[in-house]
Amino acid sequence: MIPPGILSQIFVGLSRTTILFIVASGLSLILGVLRIPNVAHGSLYMIGAFTAFTVTKIFGEGQAAFWMALIIAPLFVALISLIAERGMFQFLYEREHLMLLLLTFAFSLVFGDLVKLVWGGEYKSVPVPAIFQGFVPLFGGLPFPIYNIFLLVAGPVVAVLLWLLTNKTKIGKIARAAAVDREMVGAVGINVSWVFAIVFVIGCLLAGLGGVLVAPTVSVTLGMDHNLIIEAFLIVIMGGLGNIWGAMLGALIFGITQSLGILVWPQFGIVFPYLAVVVVLLFRPTGLLKSTW
Amino acid sequence: MKKSLFLTISLVMFFAMTTVCSTVYAQSTIKVGIVDTYTGPPTTFTMDVLDGFKLAVNKINAKGGVLGKKIEYATRDEKFKPDIGLAMAKELVLKEKADILMGTINSATTLAISDFVKKEKIPFFVTFAKSDKIIGEKGHQYIFNMNENTAMAGRAAAIALAKKPFVKYWIAGDDYEYGHAIADNVWNNLKKLNPKAQKVGESWWKVGEADFTPYITQILAAKPDFIIVATGGSGMVNFQKAAKATGLSQKIPFYQHTAIELSVLKPQGQNAPEGVYGTANYFFYYPDTPANKAFVDEFKKAYNREPRIGALSGYMTAMFIAEGYKKAGKINTEALIKALEDMSIDSPVGSLTIRGCDHQLELPMYFGVTKKSPKYDFLVASDIQVIGAKDYMPTCEEVKMLRK
Repeated sequence: MIPPGILSQIFVGLSRTTILFIVASGLSLILGVLRIPNVAHGSLYMIGAFTAFTVTKIFGEGQAAFWMALIIAPLFVALISLIAERGMFQFLYEREHLMLLLLTFAFSLVFGDLVKLVWGGEYKSVPVPAIFQGFVPLFGGLPFPIYNIFLLVAGPVVAVLLWLLTNKTKIGKIARAAAVDREMVGAVGINVSWVFAIVFVIGCLLAGLGGVLVAPTVSVTLGMDHNLIIEAFLIVIMGGLGNIWGAMLGALIFGITQSLGILVWPQFGIVFPYLAVVVVLLFRPTGLLKSTW
Repeated sequence: MKKSLFLTISLVMFFAMTTVCSTVYAQSTIKVGIVDTYTGPPTTFTMDVLDGFKLAVNKINAKGGVLGKKIEYATRDEKFKPDIGLAMAKELVLKEKADILMGTINSATTLAISDFVKKEKIPFFVTFAKSDKIIGEKGHQYIFNMNENTAMAGRAAAIALAKKPFVKYWIAGDDYEYGHAIADNVWNNLKKLNPKAQKVGESWWKVGEADFTPYITQILAAKPDFIIVATGGSGMVNFQKAAKATGLSQKIPFYQHTAIELSVLKPQGQNAPEGVYGTANYFFYYPDTPANKAFVDEFKKAYNREPRIGALSGYMTAMFIAEGYKKAGKINTEALIKALEDMSIDSPVGSLTIRGCDHQLELPMYFGVTKKSPKYDFLVASDIQVIGAKDYMPTCEEVKMLRK
């Protein structure tokens, strides 16, 4: 029998994993298929959160407002990414990774300042929707926030949808093929450029979705992009570049080592997930699962 | 072709000369150089400093300036980087011939500029940096501190907390200098004032931590009486949201420096947790005096929002510069410094003095607890207890010891 304290900590860690997984899977998808190390992914996550703030304000912060934000904000982020892809990235796929890294880094700076211009420097807060407010006593009476239960459900839902998309739809199959051999896919008469655009947009949409989901639990603020992008990259590297299930595994390890680390040694709780990354990379330098690179 | 080139060059040179000359001859203004972070998260606080300063400067200039000279200012964005900040400060002093410098929100930048102004003999008004080294061991006669620092905030909180019956304390915070400085200062002073207080555990998270739930469940399991939470910036709001979601705020009371401040409470609206203890130097609704009301009205009219702590330090910096020169009777740096020492002027929060021995502004500190208010759509500080500047500031002797 696991003590309730540890059980509670594991579940808190799992719910935290959800957002990391959603954002990291988008990053991994883009990395795997398009080979773009998208540093601006974090900025899109931030824009998702800020858009969620605006949408909930418009819809009066009620119950419906949150659901509207959950739909509108990722779509808005998707639109931005579509413009960026068609206007810029599609011409640069053949460039070196370092070039793309620098370009996306530039984008992250531009997005950061745009967010400041549009939303200003003040902290923003998105309220937790009424049905998810409060907490329930779980695991020996320790309180567990209801919103985290919602996150625990949302994570697997997104994972299943992603699996269906990559394995059961035509676009998913083409994307996977294009990731392996782009020229071959083009040679059989498929418009690879648009396939790439769609994959890029879906990846960015996931970043936006992560931003909306995190918004009720934190203050929406400038700089939230930088904090996340490092973790997301670590998770993707740990899981295996371009492998969505690797991203999931990486996020799980990251979230749970942190929450259990806090239990073991609260002063140094932050060290544990990074230690896990080191251990994984020591023994499996290419990541836990098969990398598409 | 050659002729036109020659013409352009001479034209450019002519304009260059006239502009150079104009800066040389136009010493009819007092130049204040402002170095601060105007990009990224710190703008939450720095814009208030700038707007408060502008408000005062416009008022002073409208009345004819200081000794017949208008106050002029130039801002530079240091991007929260000490090396950039120092370069900007040098540029402002050496090229723009700034008479006075002010800023910054970054303690490292402030300390770097502090070294520079000491050599250049330029007064430097610190408006938001919180390191106690600025006015303590690294202090000197050209530096003026217009806000509280971590040592002062910690001592003020300890004074108020020592009167409470809590025994078992948990300490938690952002794992960076500010977090540790606040926590250490609260705790060390508290232990002196209340020997019964004991520490049952600590947790430290990385700066910018998004999810506090795992930390909070762990603290709840340890059942302390009180938690000292040393967060800064957006961590303030993040922690409060998590405290509300996990029910922590109803179970265990906790303290955060600036928890009761507008920048933390306003974004959360009615959803902020009640019963959180905090300290702050300024509220737009307290003290409820005509002076404060007039200041708030003026600020609101100009910028369409309520002033926060930064606005007061920016505003008072301009006021002290103006009054200091007036008292000195001439535009001279050494005379200004002499005039400012132990000078008191009226402010929105009552008469404020710059202490002569260390150039620290004597601000009252307010200790209070968050509460819903019928008047506003966000939580406010209630049960406000005023801690006098003399009680929580280090004594002149202590500062002297530090500066040795």
